[in-house]
Amino acid sequence: VTLAEKTGVYEREELLTGCQAVSQAVRLADVDVIAAYPIRPYTEVMDQLSKIIADGQLDAEYIVADSEHGQFEIVKHASAVGARAFAGSSGTGWCYGFEALVVTATDRLPVLFLVGNRALDDPGAFGVEHNDALAVRDMGWLLCWASTAQEALEHVLIGYRIAEDARVRMPMALAMDGAFLTHSQHIVKIPSPEAVGRFLPPYDLGERRLHPDNPISIAPQVNEDWVIELRRQNWEAARRARGVIVDAYREFNAIFGERYRAPYFFDEFMTDDAEVVLIGLGTVAMPGRTAVRRMREQGRRVGYVELKWFRPFPTEELRASLSRFKAVGVIDRDFNHGSPDDGGTVFHEIRSCLYPARERPAVINFITGLGGRDISIADCTTMLELTEQAARDERRDGTVTWLGLRE
Amino acid sequence: VIKRVEVNYRGIFQKTLGKKIGGDIVMIASRVGRVAFSNGRYSDSPERNGIPCKYFAFVSPDLSEEELEAECGAKLDIDEADVSVVVDEAMVKGVEPWGWHGIRPINEKVIPGGTLLVVSRKPHADLLKFIGRKPYPYRLATIEGDASLSGLWVFKDDLTHERVLGAIAALDPDVIGIEAVEAYLLERTGQPQRAEAARAAYEEVQGKVEVVLPSDGIDWPHQPPVLPKWHEFGEGVVVPAVPRGFQLGPRGQSRNPQFKRGTTKSERPVVRFDICTKCTLCWQECPDQCFDPTVDGLYDVDYEYCVGCGKCAEVCPVKECIVMVDELRFEDDRSPWEHYRRDRDGYVEWAEQKKGDKRVVHPHVTGTGRAELDGQRVPLGKVIPARKKEATA
Repeated sequence: VTLAEKTGVYEREELLTGCQAVSQAVRLADVDVIAAYPIRPYTEVMDQLSKIIADGQLDAEYIVADSEHGQFEIVKHASAVGARAFAGSSGTGWCYGFEALVVTATDRLPVLFLVGNRALDDPGAFGVEHNDALAVRDMGWLLCWASTAQEALEHVLIGYRIAEDARVRMPMALAMDGAFLTHSQHIVKIPSPEAVGRFLPPYDLGERRLHPDNPISIAPQVNEDWVIELRRQNWEAARRARGVIVDAYREFNAIFGERYRAPYFFDEFMTDDAEVVLIGLGTVAMPGRTAVRRMREQGRRVGYVELKWFRPFPTEELRASLSRFKAVGVIDRDFNHGSPDDGGTVFHEIRSCLYPARERPAVINFITGLGGRDISIADCTTMLELTEQAARDERRDGTVTWLGLRE
Repeated sequence: VIKRVEVNYRGIFQKTLGKKIGGDIVMIASRVGRVAFSNGRYSDSPERNGIPCKYFAFVSPDLSEEELEAECGAKLDIDEADVSVVVDEAMVKGVEPWGWHGIRPINEKVIPGGTLLVVSRKPHADLLKFIGRKPYPYRLATIEGDASLSGLWVFKDDLTHERVLGAIAALDPDVIGIEAVEAYLLERTGQPQRAEAARAAYEEVQGKVEVVLPSDGIDWPHQPPVLPKWHEFGEGVVVPAVPRGFQLGPRGQSRNPQFKRGTTKSERPVVRFDICTKCTLCWQECPDQCFDPTVDGLYDVDYEYCVGCGKCAEVCPVKECIVMVDELRFEDDRSPWEHYRRDRDGYVEWAEQKKGDKRVVHPHVTGTGRAELDGQRVPLGKVIPARKKEATA
């Protein structure tokens, strides 16, 4: 029995890197315009897409830009005229195009961007750090992490569906850990175009489509009497996105089987009777959950929460979930020097989210894995043990520990 | 249970080979119900020509994919290897993939009872002249073949890939079994010679595997560098420069001691100082500034830094003056010029003996005239093909 016959929704299995899995999803999403500019680890996505087009498997405009700034402007404009558009980048390349990233969000254009997370130079380094993608967190973006190649493929489809929804129309950044996910080869199930067609409707910008037959102007220069209302409007879209995200996962599950669990924005592992949990973004979930599984064998009441969606932040859901525990250890693969308690960005958001909770757990922070340094199972065990200590000792609340550092 | 395989390959020239071996181990293992994935040592890429690189494959009969990933994925290097494959035998001299890494022994990751599998025509004793001792027994195995070198986007389809898969099946059937290898190759390509090549290597390697004892091999001469702690670094990403220095004579030019790159080469240039015309071309053209001017106008070679690119041999206008020679014929990196100064006749005799009779023929890029080649009179010098004419209506 073939995979296609068995499932009806998957076409075949292939050995793919995370980048290749994303490219396959872009093919399946039948994207119209791709703008490319190389920077590792994202580069393999554009390489693969150019091959997919050359092999006649996708009919799309493939434009090699002069820089990331040009690259992001191209897809923004393409999206405005009604083309489903795709781009991607990493690290400082992503930052170089920042002006274009900002206006894509304020213009509410639903382009999907792949961010292969990479350390921000200097020193020039290729390894994963999350500061690049996190930089758009304040700008009106959808921002989500995938932690396996299969999830990366699926989140391109889920991402377009959410971003293009008439209630949302926001750009989507899909982040994945550079090297560990972008360049690792795994066996991936590739959905059939027919099943994808049932899940992802065609892109329709409706009355906002820039076209000679629909004479409109986008984003004129305005004065003080316009801006705050437009910001308020964009906030409303970000609020509506929370509901659209849940709908998208439910619909995905209905077509492809129970792939994702409620509340969808994050995934809990062995948390039912847990007293302490770790929470983090990206591939650290693998050693994190493995450490939890092994400590559970010794009767320790620990769990792992894999945070997937950072924007919109799942405030209510996460507040309800995390306030069940005595202590929460937040793993940051990013830095935020000089911030409150000198913690990482994810730490601040989670602590802020928990502040109004009636029962507030101790929240401690780990800054680790910067620049692609390994985070091992043993490191995760250490973090869980320190979080257990925080559950017992009030003085540990709010502490920030750097882990895996030569000191 | 986890089985770990690493493939030591030459950057660019063997990238596709390394990736294919890693990827096919995953495909073959998964067909018999094992969980597997594959990745490369990420820091190795973007690759440089000939740099020692690694590709990995991980296989487990009982772990979930997530647990296997947690144990082996998201790491810069492999923890240990059940099988370390070496697809260019010259890497037995050690591997130095990037700066501040040091020259590491090729068997560094091989576990007790694990196997170092080298594609080589040489007897094991010749390889062990270069390989560091290990405190425990492991196995050395060879399959006959030359280093399969090609380019980044192309693949030299000379069956090395299939032969390595067959040999791994013989050495550690818990990674992949030979029947599964054969079935996969046949099904995937429809070409029986691929499955046959795997089977032949499977048979061959069983006669070419032996236990290496803690007394076998050499005392490893290289120490990995100790990396600075966070408060020991210069602030502002400042790294001290290599002190400038130039003196005539061997090692007279200062070079970066933290990245020598000598393990990049499969061949080294042997210089016949006695017929050198002191034209300076090797010194000028060497992309890595490996030639040291000397008091007598000759140019010494610093083999610790030579990457074996062959440019010097290519530009040398004197026949037989600079010739590229198999790196494993040399056991040290001593100055050839000093050897020549000490004992001119002895050096020339030694050099000729090392050179043997194999020669790489380089195209002449300057000069004119005609030469006899395979019975045909052909022009010497750079041949520029006639430009295609635009079609005219």
